[in-house]
Amino acid sequence: MSLLNPPYEVGDFFDEMFDAAREVRPHYRRLAEQLGRLPEADFNQHRTAVELAFLRRGVTFTVYNNSEGTERIFPFDLIPRIIPATEWKRIEAGLIQRITALNLFLHDIYHGQKILRDKVVPAAQILSAKHFRREFMNFSVPKDIYVHICGTDLIRDHAGQYLVLEDNLRCPSGVSYMIENRSAMRRAFATLFQTYRVRPVETYADNLLKALLHLAPARDDKPNVVLLTPGVHNSAYFEHTFLARQMGIPIVEGRDLVVRDAHVFMRTTAGLVPVDVIYRRIDDDYLDPTVFRGDSLLGVPGLVAAYRAGHVSLANAIGTGVADDKVIYAYVPKIIKYYLGQDALLPNVNTYLASDPSDRKYILENIAKLVVKSANEAGGYGMLIGPASTTEEIASFRTQVAAQPRNFIAQDPVALSRSPTWCDGRLEGRHIDLRPYILCGEKTTVTPGGLTRVALRKGSLVVNSSQGGGSKDTWVLQGDE
Amino acid sequence: MPPPTKPPAARPQSTVMLSRVAHSLYWMSRYIERAENVARLLDVNLQFLLDFHGLTDASRQEHWGSLLASTGDEVLFESHYDTADSRSVTEFLAFDARNPGSILSSVFAARENARMIRDQISSEMWQAINELFLFLKDRTAEDVWTAGPSEFLQHIKLSSHLFQGLTEATYSRSEGWEFIQFGKFLERADKTTRILDVKYHILLPSAVDVGGAVDTAQWQAVLRSASALEAYRRFYVREILPWKVAEFLIFSDSFPRSLHYCVAQVDEFLRRILGETAARPRTVAARASRRLLADLESLAIDEILEEGLHEFLVEVQKSLDRIGDEVVQTTMFYPTELGPEEQQHQQQQ
Amino acid sequence: MLLHVLHRTTFVYAGQARDSFNEVRLHPVDDALQACRRYTLRLDPVAPPLAYNDFYGNEVQYFDIPGGHSRLVVEAESEVETVPDAGRPAIPTVSVAELAASPEREMLAEFSTGSHYVPLEPEIWREAQDALAGTRGDVWGDVQRLSRHVYRTFSYRPDVTGVSTRATDALKLRAGVCQDFAHVLLGLCRSMEIPARYVSGYFFNRNRRKGEIEASHAWIEAYVPGYGWAAYDPTHDRAADDHYVKVAVGRDYADIRPVSGTYRGAATRELRVVVRIREAAERAVSA
Repeated sequence: MSLLNPPYEVGDFFDEMFDAAREVRPHYRRLAEQLGRLPEADFNQHRTAVELAFLRRGVTFTVYNNSEGTERIFPFDLIPRIIPATEWKRIEAGLIQRITALNLFLHDIYHGQKILRDKVVPAAQILSAKHFRREFMNFSVPKDIYVHICGTDLIRDHAGQYLVLEDNLRCPSGVSYMIENRSAMRRAFATLFQTYRVRPVETYADNLLKALLHLAPARDDKPNVVLLTPGVHNSAYFEHTFLARQMGIPIVEGRDLVVRDAHVFMRTTAGLVPVDVIYRRIDDDYLDPTVFRGDSLLGVPGLVAAYRAGHVSLANAIGTGVADDKVIYAYVPKIIKYYLGQDALLPNVNTYLASDPSDRKYILENIAKLVVKSANEAGGYGMLIGPASTTEEIASFRTQVAAQPRNFIAQDPVALSRSPTWCDGRLEGRHIDLRPYILCGEKTTVTPGGLTRVALRKGSLVVNSSQGGGSKDTWVLQGDE
Repeated sequence: MPPPTKPPAARPQSTVMLSRVAHSLYWMSRYIERAENVARLLDVNLQFLLDFHGLTDASRQEHWGSLLASTGDEVLFESHYDTADSRSVTEFLAFDARNPGSILSSVFAARENARMIRDQISSEMWQAINELFLFLKDRTAEDVWTAGPSEFLQHIKLSSHLFQGLTEATYSRSEGWEFIQFGKFLERADKTTRILDVKYHILLPSAVDVGGAVDTAQWQAVLRSASALEAYRRFYVREILPWKVAEFLIFSDSFPRSLHYCVAQVDEFLRRILGETAARPRTVAARASRRLLADLESLAIDEILEEGLHEFLVEVQKSLDRIGDEVVQTTMFYPTELGPEEQQHQQQQ
Repeated sequence: MLLHVLHRTTFVYAGQARDSFNEVRLHPVDDALQACRRYTLRLDPVAPPLAYNDFYGNEVQYFDIPGGHSRLVVEAESEVETVPDAGRPAIPTVSVAELAASPEREMLAEFSTGSHYVPLEPEIWREAQDALAGTRGDVWGDVQRLSRHVYRTFSYRPDVTGVSTRATDALKLRAGVCQDFAHVLLGLCRSMEIPARYVSGYFFNRNRRKGEIEASHAWIEAYVPGYGWAAYDPTHDRAADDHYVKVAVGRDYADIRPVSGTYRGAATRELRVVVRIREAAERAVSA
């Protein structure tokens, strides 16, 4: 019994596996053959084995509905998403270009603000941005790198062109799933791995550690790198412990650290141990109650002072959120041009800014046809998908946009590409996106692949874990097939 | 084509141990041991009272009173309950959340501590504690009393053994292990003194009762609370004599619940934790532990009985408290409990 | 005028405090209108303060006290020479339209939008409209009119508001202290598209009655193209002159807290603040 019978519906979308003539794309041929030969019972067996493995290993995320969080497995689909080498080369170049420009942008924003004085980006957008950290002005950061870890979300449009959907420059997550998914696939489809030459993702932790060590303030001893987590209550806690273990570094909470004389120490049973680099998975607001939110119990009093004195380095730096603001996103092509003199290799999705009067008019008139996003929400919240919304929802958003235009952008809906996904016994197309991870250390590297998120609900475009999304393994090939 | 690469073995975890983690391991271990011991105490004494039909109401109340006195929570009990009988004492010691030493409170606290350091313990260990927690959460004192407390208390004991067994089997022999064992034996030593002390609080029997059925049964209950009946019999083949029971539970260096054995373990792990390698102990905690161990190695039972068994046991409890506090202070560089006195405050003008 | 300022803040704890991390903004500025001749910061327990300049250019001193202490005293003492009125440039007449068209306005965006203590709610906008009676004049003139409106229609009452009162709450109460008067005026100016910022400092009250409580003071500065930041005090309905010592500026109170920090331990039992502003003997001015 073949998984490709009954015939798979490509629909009116760009499909990862099938071209317009319903022919299997060259880089998917071997997979198609394998799937064609695989009895459904075997496939189901693989599926259950993988789910069980995830459950046992605790590859979960926590959803908080009330005070009790429930741990869920991030649903995983066994059909991989395959990217040939030539395609990946272009993506990689585009991502490196983008993060280079964004790091230059951040440095400028927190120093001379030339781009604002030259009116390329309106000063008002930056100065009133929720994540613009005034406290961080004129700070010098190690190696002038602000964003060390970035997760940029990419989608493909109807023509198969890759577009940047958004950058995540604060605490991007999902890397642990990427690594766990790969492990699962190796076990489930060992033979398939042998036929393809898939570039490894397991090097991520090593590369991340290298990037973190690169930041260490000069000291003779081996630098002490730690991962700072908000703790067990955080939905990504699993990932925090996973990464810490993979890198072999201690995982700490705010209360395990203490600042003395503008130096940061870890409280251990053997005494105070100096800390040199902190990979922090806590948002700026909660990092240091002396400087940011005074009621935060997650942070470390005096941390910013130690950072300012250059005695400790943070990854990512404070204040990077100003560049992943959805409004600033619209200016990124201009930002790339301004600092690098180049056109963006990876285009943005066409975006309308509600703060611009003519754009605002367009948005309000056409809101039912557009995707409207709140500038500072994440996880798919604060978003309206016009064509799929009720009259009430549309009316509500129209009022919000008119009242606080600075907080909204709109985009033409993109017909996201689809990938064959196992749905209740048959393969159906489901919309996907891609989040590659970029590390900026001594070199800027992009992990080959990343997290492919899939919207599991039929027809849904929302891929986030908290709203019915799942993931797939992403294979970047050594060659083109 | 290159062979499929194996994922690189996770690098060995740094050898440094966070104070907070050590602290949580220590308390997790102590609380589980505490829950088990309270379950033992309760189980045996309930059984004892069931077996003895000839007891008057007064002597039953006396019996329960003595049990409560030995736990040190007599006053707390009296503030919430009118009379001490099987039902009220069971509720107080097993289910009362207002009693920080109850089985419920202990298991909840153990689980909280385990949760805080979830990534440090094996998933089996976590599952064991979590299941015990869920088991308790789903029951009320009412349910237990109707079904019969013995099965419930058995479950508690078995869960504790399961947890400790899993720890033995899955926890690396590292600094964390030392804190776990230190906490366990410290708690067990303390609870053994209390098990022994139960008998003290029962008013000295009149001449008629000495050696009588009730007296012997009470001492038997003491041994049973420590699961020591069979071991005692192997050691002292003959009948159950009070001073021999006390001697066994205090001085035996081979029975794992006796005071001497536990304190020897406490001393061993404490020295490893504090890095005490020299023959002569340096730290306050190590000196206190060494003194206590020396007493247990050199004193004889008649010396103790002369001084007074109860007085001796109270002194031991104090020493154990001091040792525990000292180790905590020396190794934890942050407030042990963030109670209202140690909270973070904002100030501004 | 040569002014001597003493500002002492004492926190007394109901027990011990430790791991105390604090930032203070107490250092009077050096600018065209005043020169800070002398400044000392004394801390008890003793701790070496470090300093940096924040986003608004305010000097921030920070220090930490790890060990246990039952009280914290932060004392700033300074000698400031303020430029006499005659020596101050006149504020030009600039039309509202010129202000709107001025190139610098873009960079002053945050002083024209809402902030934590000054949310630009419709009721603030309406109040400003009423105050200006629908007519706009020149920038500085409008600022003064708005300020006068606050001065006349609000009552100065120290017991109705608190340190966390926002402009919208003070507007409802129509009462407050200098902090509230400043916040309200900021709201009125900003809704009328006049960039305005909060100023913290001290006011030397020559007519102070003996025993009257002295405290730090708050007023505002509005942006006038061709001049810069022009200061006005709604609490006393006067332009800030040589009786005013400026310490820090920001969007609102949240940006200029004189003393703020966190610590671990017992709650604060008492907070005492002593402020003394006196005219110092004039130094001989060397030619």
